[in-house]
Amino acid sequence: MSAKKMVYLQPIPIRIWHWVNAFGIITLIVSGAQIRFPEAISILGSYKTAIQVHNVAGLVVAVFLAFWVIYYKMVRNSLDNIYIPNEEDLKHGIVRQLLYYCFWYFIGRPSPFHASPDAKFNPMQKAAYLVVMFILVPLVVVTGILLMNVTPLRVLILMSGGIKIIDTLHFLVACSLFAFLFTHVYLATLGATPLAYFKPMIFGWEEVEDHDAEHEETHDGDPNGTEYRPVRHYPEYSTKATNHGA
Amino acid sequence: MAVAFAAVLCIPAAAEQDGPGYSFGSTTGKNEACLTCHADSQKVKGASLINVTQYGHTTHARIGCPSCHEGVAPTHPTDGVRTPRANCQQCHTEVNSEYVTSIHAGKAACSGCHNPHKVESPREISGNEINQMCGGCHEKFKMSAKHGEWLPQADLHLYMLPCITCHTGSKNYFVSMYLVSTKNEGKLDKPEVATFAELRAMSGGADIIGLIDTNHDNYVSLTELRSFNRNSEHKTLRLQGMVTPETVSHKFEILDDRRNCTFCHGSGPGLMQTSFLSLPQENGTFRRVAVEKGAVLDALYGTPDFYLMGSNKNNTLSIIGLAVICGGLIMPIGHGFMRFLTRKNRMGKEHHS
Repeated sequence: MSAKKMVYLQPIPIRIWHWVNAFGIITLIVSGAQIRFPEAISILGSYKTAIQVHNVAGLVVAVFLAFWVIYYKMVRNSLDNIYIPNEEDLKHGIVRQLLYYCFWYFIGRPSPFHASPDAKFNPMQKAAYLVVMFILVPLVVVTGILLMNVTPLRVLILMSGGIKIIDTLHFLVACSLFAFLFTHVYLATLGATPLAYFKPMIFGWEEVEDHDAEHEETHDGDPNGTEYRPVRHYPEYSTKATNHGA
Repeated sequence: MAVAFAAVLCIPAAAEQDGPGYSFGSTTGKNEACLTCHADSQKVKGASLINVTQYGHTTHARIGCPSCHEGVAPTHPTDGVRTPRANCQQCHTEVNSEYVTSIHAGKAACSGCHNPHKVESPREISGNEINQMCGGCHEKFKMSAKHGEWLPQADLHLYMLPCITCHTGSKNYFVSMYLVSTKNEGKLDKPEVATFAELRAMSGGADIIGLIDTNHDNYVSLTELRSFNRNSEHKTLRLQGMVTPETVSHKFEILDDRRNCTFCHGSGPGLMQTSFLSLPQENGTFRRVAVEKGAVLDALYGTPDFYLMGSNKNNTLSIIGLAVICGGLIMPIGHGFMRFLTRKNRMGKEHHS
């Protein structure tokens, strides 16, 4: 039986950013729906209120996006490591994680990945968040800023193909992010207990099993076994990784 | 006395008695006695100079100069007597009684907005020109700031709408579509209402309606509008729509229901269903060409500058968006279902941890 240990996974600035973002995005979805379908939705009262709420929430999310980049890139210097898949992720990690979600999870095998403060995301998460955080969210923010300032930024809007192109992009990207939200929340329930992955985003700490002692015995005399750090906890995955590597 | 009486009642038939040139006719030629001098920039200047083309179009030309300027002596202009002018309210009684109760009463005379020698009805004038009248007193920056206190994107609204759309009550509204063009082939320049000469040149000297109304039936169909929007031959030319009141009151009140954005921004409000194409004419006025009912949203869809939020959204796009959102549910529902079926496989492990 493994011992348990607490890992400080999510520092306070990231937790604040996450929840501001969560609240902001839900507000944007609701107000955005009213702006597009004023005849059917009037949750926020008047149309003007919906626009103002949408603008403010959009600006908050945009400012916090900048804050997130600055914090991860400049303060922690771990942005690349956390979000950009490395060679091993691309070669085996993504497939391994996909197999886990599609098959191994159902037959009861453990996750091939365990989060650490510098490697929070499994290879699939990395790929997904790379697209979400570096393409979709900036795109929705930039198009939103253009739509918020049609007159002052009209030249930029025309250069990007006109207001309809900008509006279409804004709407479709927003729908994609909304769609991603379902997956995001669902996958967060796949921890050891349904709430296990929610706790670190609230309290910062995650309770994980300490496999270190076991791991050292397994990999004696196998220098390659430690290369893929997250896998080292599980001998069965580690062996596969080594085989692939060879 | 007879002349004065006729002028008051706007029945200037009596003016004919004064001789040729003063008559109740349909052409400016009938006013030639006056216009001999007053249309000649060498002889008169300023407000006394009449643009024959503009004046000839007006009802005032039809009733004749002496109807308003009665009793001009044969010795004019050397007699030193100031030419008499009629009061507008002598004929325009209804408008005047409405106007005196308005916020403008006492601040601007009729001529402050209307040039009596160039009177045009709202349907003969572009929205930009209407706003120029208001802009004579209401400074653009002040108005922009004032509206900006409550109106999102105030600059855009003031540019895209005639002031009277929100400041006069009207039972019916229509979308007036103008052909606008960017000058000097510059696609990024601010588009301005295209002039008659410009459109004439584009249509190769033919009737300018042919640019859109390709079958020349004086009626613009949805198909014709679509093909105009897609025509790459005139890239600097496009349509711009303005919600315009059908009738204009002279109260210029602040209508509170216009603060409710859904007056315009909403799917298919009645006022978005009727539209006209406003084409400039050689005499500087505009003429309206009927457009297929309900077509306006489609008509303006191809315009890169124009997007009326909440109103001319693309329904196909909304369906695609909904499909994308529903697509996001496939993974959680599918995986969740399998998760439920295979829950026993993980029972021991979860207890273990």
